[in-house]
Formats: sequence, structure tokens, C-alpha cells
Amino acid sequence: MARARDLVKIYGEGDAQVNALAGVSAEFRRGELTAIMGPSGSGKSTFMHCMAALDTPTSGSVEIDGVEIAGLKDKALTRLRRDRIGFVFQSFNLVPTLTAEENITLPLDIAGAKLDKDWYERIIDTVGLRARLRHKPSELSGGQQQRVACARALVSRPAIVFADEPTGNLDSQASAEILSFLRRSVDEFGQTIVMVTHEPSAAAHADRVLFLADGRIVGELLEPTAATVLEQMAAHDPAQRVS
Amino acid sequence: MRRVTMAGIRGHWLRFLLTSLSVLLGVAFVAGTLVLTDSLDRTFTGIFSQANKGTDVYVSGAEGATAIDGTNLRSGLPLTLEAELERLPDVRRAAPELAGSAILVGKDGTAVRNGGAPTLSFSWLDDDPVLEVVDGRAPRGPGEIAVEEGTLQKAGLTVGDRTRVVVGPRVMDVKIVASVRFGALAGTTLVLFDEPTSVNLFAPDGTTAAFQVQGNPGVSQEALVGQVQQVLPPTAEAITGEAKTEKDTATMRQALGFINTFLLVFAGISLVVGGFIIVNTFSMLIAQRTRELALLRAIGAGAGQVVRMVLAEAVAIGLVGGLVGLGAGVGLAAALQAALTSFGLEVSGGLPVSARTVIVSLLLGLVVTVVAAAVPAIRASRIAPIAAMRDDVAMPEKGLRRRALWATALLLLGLAAVAPALRLEGTGSNASQVAVVLLLFAAFAVGAPALARPVIAVVGAPFAALSRSVGRMARGNALRNPRRTAATASALMIGLALVSAVSVLSASATESTKSLVNQLVRADLVLEGGFTGMSDGITDAVRRVGGVKSVAGLRAVPLDVDGAPQLAVGSDAAALADAVDVQMRSGTLDVLDDGKVLVSESLAKDEDLDVGSTLSGVVGSLPDAKLTVGGVFADNPAIGSSMVIPAKLAEQAVPAPQRADMLAYVVLDPGADAAKVRAAVVDAVKPYVVVSVQDRDEFINAQSDQIEQLLMTIYVLLALSVVIAVLGIVNTLALSVFERTREIGLLRAVGLSRSQLRRMITLESVYTALFGAVLGAVLGLGIGVFMQHVLVDEGLTDLVVPTGSLVTVLVLSAIVGIVAAVLPAVRATRLNILKAISVD
Repeated sequence: MARARDLVKIYGEGDAQVNALAGVSAEFRRGELTAIMGPSGSGKSTFMHCMAALDTPTSGSVEIDGVEIAGLKDKALTRLRRDRIGFVFQSFNLVPTLTAEENITLPLDIAGAKLDKDWYERIIDTVGLRARLRHKPSELSGGQQQRVACARALVSRPAIVFADEPTGNLDSQASAEILSFLRRSVDEFGQTIVMVTHEPSAAAHADRVLFLADGRIVGELLEPTAATVLEQMAAHDPAQRVS
Repeated sequence: MRRVTMAGIRGHWLRFLLTSLSVLLGVAFVAGTLVLTDSLDRTFTGIFSQANKGTDVYVSGAEGATAIDGTNLRSGLPLTLEAELERLPDVRRAAPELAGSAILVGKDGTAVRNGGAPTLSFSWLDDDPVLEVVDGRAPRGPGEIAVEEGTLQKAGLTVGDRTRVVVGPRVMDVKIVASVRFGALAGTTLVLFDEPTSVNLFAPDGTTAAFQVQGNPGVSQEALVGQVQQVLPPTAEAITGEAKTEKDTATMRQALGFINTFLLVFAGISLVVGGFIIVNTFSMLIAQRTRELALLRAIGAGAGQVVRMVLAEAVAIGLVGGLVGLGAGVGLAAALQAALTSFGLEVSGGLPVSARTVIVSLLLGLVVTVVAAAVPAIRASRIAPIAAMRDDVAMPEKGLRRRALWATALLLLGLAAVAPALRLEGTGSNASQVAVVLLLFAAFAVGAPALARPVIAVVGAPFAALSRSVGRMARGNALRNPRRTAATASALMIGLALVSAVSVLSASATESTKSLVNQLVRADLVLEGGFTGMSDGITDAVRRVGGVKSVAGLRAVPLDVDGAPQLAVGSDAAALADAVDVQMRSGTLDVLDDGKVLVSESLAKDEDLDVGSTLSGVVGSLPDAKLTVGGVFADNPAIGSSMVIPAKLAEQAVPAPQRADMLAYVVLDPGADAAKVRAAVVDAVKPYVVVSVQDRDEFINAQSDQIEQLLMTIYVLLALSVVIAVLGIVNTLALSVFERTREIGLLRAVGLSRSQLRRMITLESVYTALFGAVLGAVLGLGIGVFMQHVLVDEGLTDLVVPTGSLVTVLVLSAIVGIVAAVLPAVRATRLNILKAISVD
């Protein structure tokens, strides 16, 4: 569904040069929820931004749904993001002037595409927002806002959804709701999701966890639990102590 | 705190510039007006001190009424006074002022003139201190003239050429024998005859309006005045040459005062509009920097310090705007001088920047900016530090309901004031008219935020239908802060309210003129003599043309009579009755032949006059004339005054050189061949160069053209308020884009293309512009309709709503919106998505 090969991203020049990605290759399969973990500065966000066509790698290739994105112009990249990729950011996910419903259908509206009514209804029911559709974002709680964002990410049936710390700003109950929703969309709809997180409990919802450090993939964990994730984190980052 | 202020300005220098620009334009207008005033002053002081050079004492007849050109009509003094004056021991010489209008015919056969500037002639004196002979010799006899060098150049003639000069009814074949230098003349043309010819032309009855007296060296002007007064008849007065120069300059200043008033009105408009933008900008700047300000508060800055910091920025903006505005004002003055020159008024006073101009400009920029910034600054200081430190702070927004209530109250008050103002007649209700207009403006300005939602919903509908999500988001953005949108749109609102009011009035005026001419004027041809009018003899020449039944000349006679207008029209009964449909309410037209006067119905009503009433006062140069009302006529714009006096009285009241008809109506014999007679009339007036012959349609068109010209001038000036409006929208949009960086990043991430983003910002701008335009058009329409009702008595009988121009104005506003969006949109599309998303 999505593949990265030898991704390198270098910021700055000379002494100030930073190798954010030092050759990352990975593959994300259909119907799989992958968590990406790593300490600050490990390159996990840069990796996700390059995968999601928000940033261009210095070298290497990214393929989304069979499309090689290297060399695509802004217009084509925009269209790719609109039609093939869904996004959930940590915060500020919604357009404040639009209602929840309008926010959800935004990618389709922008594309001028027709709404698949059945699909839409199913998503609304899954995120449980039916009663709140006519509200503006400012009238929704943080958890509800993230659920709207998740629904928006799914509505255009993207090939892949990227979630950047989707639960970073939420309390534990709201986090649990979002994570279970992501899980269900993988299980029930066969959605492919890549999620960047630093919380082991969030990563435990994934099918697989990739660990990044210093711009490289340093480990992979299948069928993770919170405990095994913590163990791995400690192994890859000696500085990180488990309290 | 100073360091923080400076850092603030450096950090937002673009906004700083934009805000300064809005101050700049207002100040530029004021500075330009002041510079132009000083320059005109210098021009005329120069001209008059040149003209009065060598005049130590100026002797003139008793002062009469003030003529249209601002000069006073005076009773004549006998020419024999010259000898008496010269007999005085300290008088070196005395000379009668033999001056009048003389039109030089240029090489191409047309009149040599600069727009409305005078065409002057006076007599040649040997050793005249006023003149310097460039070339040639003194003119002798009626066949020779000297011409001022600038006039000569404009005529395309040189010394030795033969041409014609039109003085009143006389067309004289002359030879140019000299070229003289006078100095600056402000466009006036100047021709000189020898003294006997001048006496013939300008003092045929042996009297003159004034004498110029030069004293012996060492005699003070004041002492000379004392001596001169001993020989003067009681109706004459003597003043010093210096006093004369001052008086002339003051008169001219007053006559040109309307230019200043006109410009200052626009300066006021641009300052008010600029003020709106400043309030707006500072509100936004502060909203955006709430966290920064709160941080300052949290680390111990007092509320007062925060206010002072913001005000310090305002001072900087005001000073920069004031300074640059001053410079721009000098440029504006130069442009206005060029414009005046094209109207025939050559301004030779340079571009003097006086201390007053500098002080007024800087103070104005400063005061307007600081006052406008004070409100948002105080509001900012009231935010609790801890509230501001939180994530998504918004400036506290009061509900719009209270505003809507206030606006409604003002509107009702305005409407309540409209009713009596409509009923009031005559000129006494000027103040209440202004009050009504101001109330309507206030209601719209206060109510605009509450109107933003419904109006933008309507104007946005077609665009929203075209592109659903983009249109909807643009509308949402425009409505996100209705106050801000309203303040931004207000600049356009004010400008367009004035434009539409003016266009309603001018369309109504054009239509009214047409129907008035059709209803009231029976004449077949209309003669017009331009600014100088037509002298006696021209009308006589036309009367002699075969096929012409009668000619009714309308002669302007200045009055200073209690309860009477400033100008009366002199005419004779039979010709007037032929040419104009005069409806008599009481009495008959024939009373004019008995020496009685006619008054209009509204004048009769206002002053409580009726047949038999008497008036007394100054009529032209007659110091105490008695007038008896012989009839009352229905108000009639074709007559052009509310009082008609007998032609004979007009003749006595106005000295021969100043006698002129503004307009003459020509009626043809029934059954005459109109085309043939017209050709003969054209031939008859041809020698007089400046007289135009128009049939009714041409006359109507000429009147409309005048209105159009006035309109164009107003449009050009209003264009400046549109420029300010564009700046305001650019400013607001730029800030909005900045504030919404994260949102724009998000939209781009989820797939909004650059062109869609551009469209979204453009639409927001267009909505704002159209909102202002719609409000302005409605307001202007209301004011226009109201003023037309008020002015029905002044001849504005027909109401015309120029739908075409209003639609054009709306379309232009949409274009204004598109133009204003260009820069902010470019900026938005250049945003790096990743950086935008992660911005704080």
C-alpha cells in the first residue's frame, strides 16, 4: 500500500547539517495499523511527513498506492494528499468556520467528488458523532474534535491514513476512544493506518511497531503490548529510564 | 519598554508600512490643500503687488454690491479728478484706472483665453512702473495695441502682426506694436490701448471706478492719503497702496476659498476612513499579540505600560505617516496646480511648505493615529494575564445585538429628522439636512457589523453555489469577525455612499434640466458668452438678424438688499415673455416696463412679499436703490434667479465695461427657416469669438456636460478613498492570512490546491468589498433621494436612480476586492505546509 526506500533527509549545510533521516526503508501493508516510535529527534515525524507527501526527501523513493511521488509537482502532490491520503494531526485538525459535518466532508468537497452516503453513515456511526454534526469545532470537546478529524481522514476512502500523535492532547478516556476507533477501522474497513506516537499504551493498539533512532529504523515489534513496547524502548534508548 | 516597542515595529514592519499608508493619504490631502493655498496666496500677492506697484494711494468710488467675480461695483468718479489730484503738492502723478475686458483674437482666429481667467485690458502709460517694455513702442490710437508677452505667445502672434480685439460689442482691427512684461498673471490675458482709446472704451461716460496716485519720494503712503482725502468728493474713498494689495489678495482668497473647502472635505473623508483602518489594524495587531502582551503583564509590566507601549507604536506610525504624507501632499499640490492650470488658472507661487503646513500635517497624523489606537490599547490592557497565556485566546467580543439596537435607534432618529427636513422649505434647513445625512452615516457605521451576516449571505450566495466548500469557507472567514469585516468594509462604504449619492443627484440634475428646459424655455436658440458673458451690442446684433423675433438677455446684477438674493436678473418684459414660460402668481410681467421688480413665489413666501412691497439697499453700483415688487412668478430655473429687475435699472446699476448678459434666449419669427436663421445668428456673433449659439438640444447637452465634468472631478477625488479602502482590505487580509497560518496549512495538507486557496482568499476579499459596496450604495441612494427631495425647489424636480452606474460601481467594488486579495493570496499560497501546521 505504501513503501519507502532508502529515505534520506538532510537539513542545513556544512557544520549545521542534520541528517534527520539516514536511509529508512519500510513497507506498510493493507489493513495494518503501524505505530512509529522513537525519542525526540529520532526522525519519526520527518519520516511520516515524507511518507505523507508533506515533505520531500533529499533522496530515496516513496510510493503511495502504486504512485511514485518523487518528482511530482505541487498540483499532483496536492491531489495525491486529497484523494489517497488521510490525515489526523495532534491538534488544530478542524476548520473553525465549518460545522463538524462540513469538516468531515471537506476533502470530498474540495475535490468536488460525490459523497458515498452509506460509507459516510457508517463512519458517523462508528465515531458516534451523529448528534454533534451541526456543531462548530469550538462547541466540541477535544476528544470529539479528534473523532471528527478521524472521520474526515476516512471519508474519502484513502489508501493510507497518517496520524501524527493523534492522542497527544487528550485525556486517557478520550485517547482510548480514538485508539479503539482507529483499531476498528483497520479491522472492520481494512484501512491502512500509520500512527506516530510516543505513548507505549497507544502503540500497543498497533499490529506492528517500528522504532526509529538517529534517523534509522532500529527495531520492529509485531503484536506489541505496552510491556513489550517499553522493553524495546529501553533497549534502543539507554538514556530513557522506565519509571 | 522602548526596546520592546522598537522590536515590535521591526517585527511587523510590513504591517507598520500599510498602516502608515492609511494615515499618509489623509495627511497628504490636508498638506496638499495647505501647500496649494499658500501657493495661490503667493501667486496673487505677487500679482497684486505688481499691479499696485507705484501706487501709493488708491482712490475709488463708494463701494457697491459685490459682483460675481468677487470685485466690488463702485460708483464712478469723474475723470476730471485726475487734474485735481495732480495739483496736490506731494502727488507726483495720478492716473485713472481705465480697465475692462478685451478679448484678443489669436493667429488661429479663436479667442485667446485661459479657461475662466480674466481677459484684461488697461491703458498704456509712459513710464508705467507696473510694466516693462520688451519690444516695440507705445500704441497710438484705436488701431494699435501692446500685448503682454505671455498672452502674445499664447496667441501665436508677434509684434507687427495684425489681428482683432473684441471689447464689449466692438470688434477692432488692430496692429500689435509692443510686447510688455508684467510678471505672473495666473492665466490672465492682457492687452493695452493708449489712454484716449481706453477712455473711449472703458470710461465713455467720463467717469471711472478708481484712480492710482503716486506720491513724491519721501512721502509716506499714510500722509498722502490724508492729502488726497481733502480733494475727494464725499462718495469717494482713499486707501494706501499696501492696503489695496492686501484687500485684493483677501478678495481673491475668498473667491478661491471653495477650492480649499472642497479639498478639505476630501481630506476629512480620507482621515476618517484612514482612522477606521488604524483602529482595525491595531485591534488585530493586539489580538494577535495578546499572548506577547500577557507575557509582559505576567512578568510584571503594568497595564499602563502596555497601553503606553502600544501608543508608542501608534506615535511612530503617526509620525511616519505624517512625514511621508507631507511629502505626498507637496506632490498632490503640484498635481492640483497642473489641474488648475488646465482650467486656466496658472499658479506661479511654487510649492511653499510653511511651518504651519508641517506642524498641522505631523500633528494630524499623530493625533488621528494615537486616538484610533487608544481604544484597542486600553482593551488589550484589561485582559487578565493568565487568560491571555492560555492557548486559544480571543479578544473579548461583545454581542452584536446591542449594536443593532443602537443602529436602529440612529436610523429611526435619522428618519424622524428626514420628515421635517422634507417639509421645511427654503434654505433655512441646511443644518437639519446635514444632521440627517450624518445620522444615516452613523447608523450604517454602527450597524454594519450586525448587517455583515445577512448581507454577505446574500452577496455570497452566487459564489457559494459556484464552488461549494471554497465559497462556504470564504464566507465563514469573512463572517468570523463581523466587526473587523465591517470596519474594513467601511472605507469602501463611505466612498461608495458618496459616489452613489452624487450619481443620483447628477442623474436627477441632468434629467431635471432636460424637462425644465423642455417645459419652461420657449426660445429656439440660446446664446452663451462663457465666463465673461456677452456685452451689450452682441444681443443687439442678433436682434437685427432677419427672422429673429426677440432676444431676451439675462443680465446678472449683484444686489445687497435685505431679503433679496445676491444676484438679480435684468430683462425686459416682452422678450422674457416670448422666451420663457413665466407663470405669474400675481401681477403681470409688464410691470417690468414700469420700473417695478418681479420676485419668485418662494422668495415672496420666505420674505413675506407681495405686489406693492418695497425693498431697499444696494443694487449694483447704486448705493441706495428702492425696489417695488410688481409681480410674483412661479419659481423658474430658466430665469436663474428669484428676482427679475427691469433692463433699464440693470443698465444704470452696472457700469458699461462690466455690463454683460450671462445668457440670452433667442425666439424666431413663426414660420422662419430655423436652419437659415441659425446660420445668420452664428454669422452675427462670429466676430465676438466667444459667443456660442445652441439650439435647445445642444443647450440641454451643454448643461449635462457641465454636471458630468463636476462629477468627474468628484469621482477622481473619491478614487482616493477607494485606494485607502483597498489598502484597508489588503491590511486585514494579510493579517487574517497570518492569523490563520495553521488553518491554511491544514487545508493544504488535506488537499486544498493552491488555486483553490487563492480563490478562497479572493472570495473573502470580494465579499468584504461587496459588503461595503452594498451598504454604501444603499446609504448613498438614501442620501441621494433625500437630497433630491430637499432640492426640488432649487430645480431638482425629477428623481432618477442611475441603475447602470450603481451596478458598475458594484462590479468595480468586486474588482477592488480581487485586486486587494492578490498580495495576501500570494503570501498564503507560498506558505510551507509543514511550517504552517507546526506554527504556534
